[in-house]
Amino acid sequence: MATATWSAKGRENSKIDRSGSRWLSRISYYAFMIVLSCFYFYPMIWLVLSSFRENREIFTNPFRFPEQVNFQNWADAWQIGHISTYATNSVIVTSLTVIFILLFASMGAFAFSKLPFKGSKGLLMLFVIGLFMPLQSFFIAQSYIFDKLSLKDSYMGLILPYIGVGLPLAVFLLKSFLDSIPKDLIEASRIDGCSDRILFIRIILPLLGPGLATVAIFSSLNAWNELLLAMLYIQDDGLKTLPVGLLAFSSRYVTNYKLLFSALALITIPMILAYVVFHKRIVSGLTEGSLK
Amino acid sequence: MNRKNHRFSISPYLFVAPSVLLFSLTILVPIVMTFVFSFYDWNGFGQMTFTGFDNYVRAFQDRVYLLSYWHIFIYIVLTIILEVFCGLALAGLITMKRRGSGLFRVAFFTPVMLPMIVVSYLWKFVYNSDFGLINSVLNSIGLESWTRVWLGDPKFAIYAVTFVSGWVFAGYYMTIFYAGIQRIPNDIYESAYLDGASNWDIFFKIKIPMIRDLVDVAIMLCVLGGFQAFDLFYVMTNGGPYNSTEIVTTYIVKVVFNNMSIGYGSALAVIMSIVIATLGIVTNKLKKKDNGTLEY
Repeated sequence: MATATWSAKGRENSKIDRSGSRWLSRISYYAFMIVLSCFYFYPMIWLVLSSFRENREIFTNPFRFPEQVNFQNWADAWQIGHISTYATNSVIVTSLTVIFILLFASMGAFAFSKLPFKGSKGLLMLFVIGLFMPLQSFFIAQSYIFDKLSLKDSYMGLILPYIGVGLPLAVFLLKSFLDSIPKDLIEASRIDGCSDRILFIRIILPLLGPGLATVAIFSSLNAWNELLLAMLYIQDDGLKTLPVGLLAFSSRYVTNYKLLFSALALITIPMILAYVVFHKRIVSGLTEGSLK
Repeated sequence: MNRKNHRFSISPYLFVAPSVLLFSLTILVPIVMTFVFSFYDWNGFGQMTFTGFDNYVRAFQDRVYLLSYWHIFIYIVLTIILEVFCGLALAGLITMKRRGSGLFRVAFFTPVMLPMIVVSYLWKFVYNSDFGLINSVLNSIGLESWTRVWLGDPKFAIYAVTFVSGWVFAGYYMTIFYAGIQRIPNDIYESAYLDGASNWDIFFKIKIPMIRDLVDVAIMLCVLGGFQAFDLFYVMTNGGPYNSTEIVTTYIVKVVFNNMSIGYGSALAVIMSIVIATLGIVTNKLKKKDNGTLEY
């Protein structure tokens, strides 16, 4: 795959090279792309640099390199500002959400794709609603139900709705994944005496590997970033996830910009590192996830 | 050979049960209950009084609510330009087969990775009138008169917020189009080059027409996704100044939590759901008539 693209590139380049003004076009291309990249990266770099500044410096010299690179601001945000607590909560909520989405969605997709049953079309149509409707179309009554079930201010109060919101897309994606697997494979294992349960565990789950990775990526990003429900259902500061935690943080340190910048830097840097390490998988996961 | 086994079996139902039950409990039942709530006057604690269509009548006379649809309309039109069209341009640029274009592709996608709340705060600071990047740059190049309180100016606020959405998602649509362009067989380019086509011709006459279906899907995602916008507006402006950035979702949250009008908020949510469902059905129909490739 990689070598094929490279040789193709080589051929393309030699074609481009034949045209006369190649240097000018090449230089203007790179100049334009570098300016554009700065526009993309400079705000993020500025954020990290500002997190090292003193409050006074933030106002006086926004462009110069900070007077000293001191990680004390980060440590303060992490400890005093409870970012560590919020991050732990986010990890717990996100990982449980993703595990359950993967399990339930793959079970559902298996039945919808490979086990014909009465009412499957209708049930599948119901899931379509979940693809389009924003949280605002159901949070009012959901909040009421969760109140009655005393689910608010608990991890379950966030995990349950996150699973519900994530399931439709996950089911559709995994189903389309399974639809491309030939029926013969299933029938052959049936003849060998596989029950549905064994079929699912031994054959379907291993086949679904790449699909599950895709689902894991987009559902973990969604759960990690969700703000509205986390804001409505969690009042206890010790249970807040990062997005709501950050809201609470900013209202507490409203003018302490260095702490705010530090908190943002602390959240941003791991996300960017994860992206740099896994970017191929993440990009294909996110694009497949929302286009299917 | 294709004789289907029509013995009734419980097992498919057991497999779909967890997802159907969870989805019903957390989303379907609440949607139905929201519909019921919308016919009552209720603050969430006290007496529920049945008022029929009063909430709906009130909604259609609510200036801010109607305005919020206008803002969503502006937002959607601009995101189509800023995200889909700019994404197309970016995809054209990074598929020009220049050395290092892969690096630019990674760079333009990076903002997609940031949590929306971080993006919102980051740009709130970039727009800040005292120390923000935009005003600092304008001051340092002698354009002091152009500086303003970007998010505090009712004329600019919605464009300022929408621009941020463009900053985040142009790279996302670029990636989708990039994947589509990669699928175009190489010999098409080769023969085009032999016929003397420029990069410009190749972009407009080969790349764009051949990923038409992806562009259509992207526009549909912008239209339906526009209604899902919330975090950016909530954190950056929370509807202000003077309702100039109020969108449907932020307004519903405000009605429910600041005014404690569960019934009225529910009616607003039901109207929004109907609008979205209609848009979804219409775009899907148009798409099917077109070439019938869209799944869902």
